[in-house]
Amino acid sequence: MRLELRDVRYVYAPGTPFEVEALRGVSLVVEPGEVLGIVGGTGSGKSTLVQHMNLLLTPTGGEVLVDGVDATTLKKSELRRRVGLVFQFPESALFAPTVEEDVAFAPRQLGLDEEEVQERVLESLRALEAGELAARSPFALSGGEKRRAAIAGVLAMKPEVLVLDEPTAGLDPATREDLLALILGLRNAGISVVLVSHDLDEVAEVADRVCALQEGRVRAIGTPAEVFYREPAQAPATVRVASLLRESKPEIGAPVRFAETLDALRALQGA
Amino acid sequence: MEHPGEGTRNGGSFVVSCESVSFSYPGSGRPALSDVSFELRPGEYVGVVGPNGGGKSTLVRLLNGLLKPDSGRVLVSGRDPATEPFEVRKHLGILFQDPENGLVAPFVEDDVAFGLENLGVPRKEMRDRVAGAIRAVGLEGFERREPDTLSGGEKQRVALAGLLAVEPDILVLDEPTSMLDAAGRREVLAYLETLRAEKTVLHVTHHLEELVRSDRILVLNGGELVADKTPERFLSDADLLRENRLVLPVVQRLALEIGLSPARLRTPETLAEAILAKTESGTRAG
Repeated sequence: MRLELRDVRYVYAPGTPFEVEALRGVSLVVEPGEVLGIVGGTGSGKSTLVQHMNLLLTPTGGEVLVDGVDATTLKKSELRRRVGLVFQFPESALFAPTVEEDVAFAPRQLGLDEEEVQERVLESLRALEAGELAARSPFALSGGEKRRAAIAGVLAMKPEVLVLDEPTAGLDPATREDLLALILGLRNAGISVVLVSHDLDEVAEVADRVCALQEGRVRAIGTPAEVFYREPAQAPATVRVASLLRESKPEIGAPVRFAETLDALRALQGA
Repeated sequence: MEHPGEGTRNGGSFVVSCESVSFSYPGSGRPALSDVSFELRPGEYVGVVGPNGGGKSTLVRLLNGLLKPDSGRVLVSGRDPATEPFEVRKHLGILFQDPENGLVAPFVEDDVAFGLENLGVPRKEMRDRVAGAIRAVGLEGFERREPDTLSGGEKQRVALAGLLAVEPDILVLDEPTSMLDAAGRREVLAYLETLRAEKTVLHVTHHLEELVRSDRILVLNGGELVADKTPERFLSDADLLRENRLVLPVVQRLALEIGLSPARLRTPETLAEAILAKTESGTRAG
């Protein structure tokens, strides 16, 4: 699926003294099978933006297009199946007595037969290496396990676009790395992933393109190198190190991912 | 352990002590904490790390009486949170990781004042404390905003302001920057730095870079306290890191991979300088 936002605007509490303009004309495209990282400071509009991707919020201006078709003309349930949204701290929405039933809830609503539901549940839990959690109560899980169970629930809908809002907040570093590997796995299976994160280091590792938001507008959009080297002070640690060295060692280039940066540093030392 | 109990709790100092504390959640086969002992001396800044499910959040909840130990004893400023939770909460404030759960009032300033309202603080003093706390977390101008219209990071700063307004001696921070952007994180950490010595801080985090300046780092894994070390020794102990599913921050990992000492190079700037120094001397030697 190609998901496009055209000049999207959103105002919270319009016409009241508490009116806040959260999005001021955002245009971007989520291309099929890419990981689009969305970064930006606290309050830049990241979470508001992603809630427009499945019309959980209706834009007060502009439009959302699914493969060129105005998303408001699609059935909401269909749109939300195709664009799966995982909120910040999604574990707070876990409710069923077992993880298995929790993950099965949404696919069951689609009217699938029980065999298909079970298959999807197992498949999603396995994708998150959470198969052993199936029979456990979601409330007895650790933070990282709950997070995985909650993401499995959205994955079981087989979305074409998976939108993850701060999926690694509060996860230990090893669990975070597992989740990033999962994102790349989904991308390689043809699913588009929108990754909202304030952790630039992790965006650097997985994003094909990056969109930087600032005060409700797109400040920059492009490859990670294009976006991050434009403003190295607001860049991942790898880019900050490399851009500090670039003045006297231009041969270092513009590495972004950890492995690239390490190669560039080694080449520098070997020279 | 490197820090045996020193009995300061009876001397009227504000400290935390855990003596052989064990706790299991009902229905769970394995203890969430088993036989955990440590002490915080007044003014110490101590980090807590470890994998998800290691017992960090359980420990935090035992410190203010939200949970009661199955065995062993917790003392905060000489009081047992299991029997005197309200007294303990005047001395020990907790910032939880998901700010959504904590915000209750219609406006930011009311939310920051919420904890104070139960303490019988005079009106004028309350206003000053609330304004001071809002300023401290950089949220001036947000006083009359509704919490619902704030971003996750802003909400977290509101929660931190509410905690600071109560002026506890001991701050327990459970992932206080997990929802902040890089700038917000630096701001909050710089603020926490100004509280050093004045407050005792227990800082739970997955971001090791936040703890490079702490006094000690405790490692909880599988409910057990498996290490209590200085940051220098901790960051250079590769086995300990791996066994506890910890990953060095990017700067330290780059340093280690190219043969520089990770413990001393804390920022991209210091790493870049060290690399330049090394390549320059390498050029001269060659």
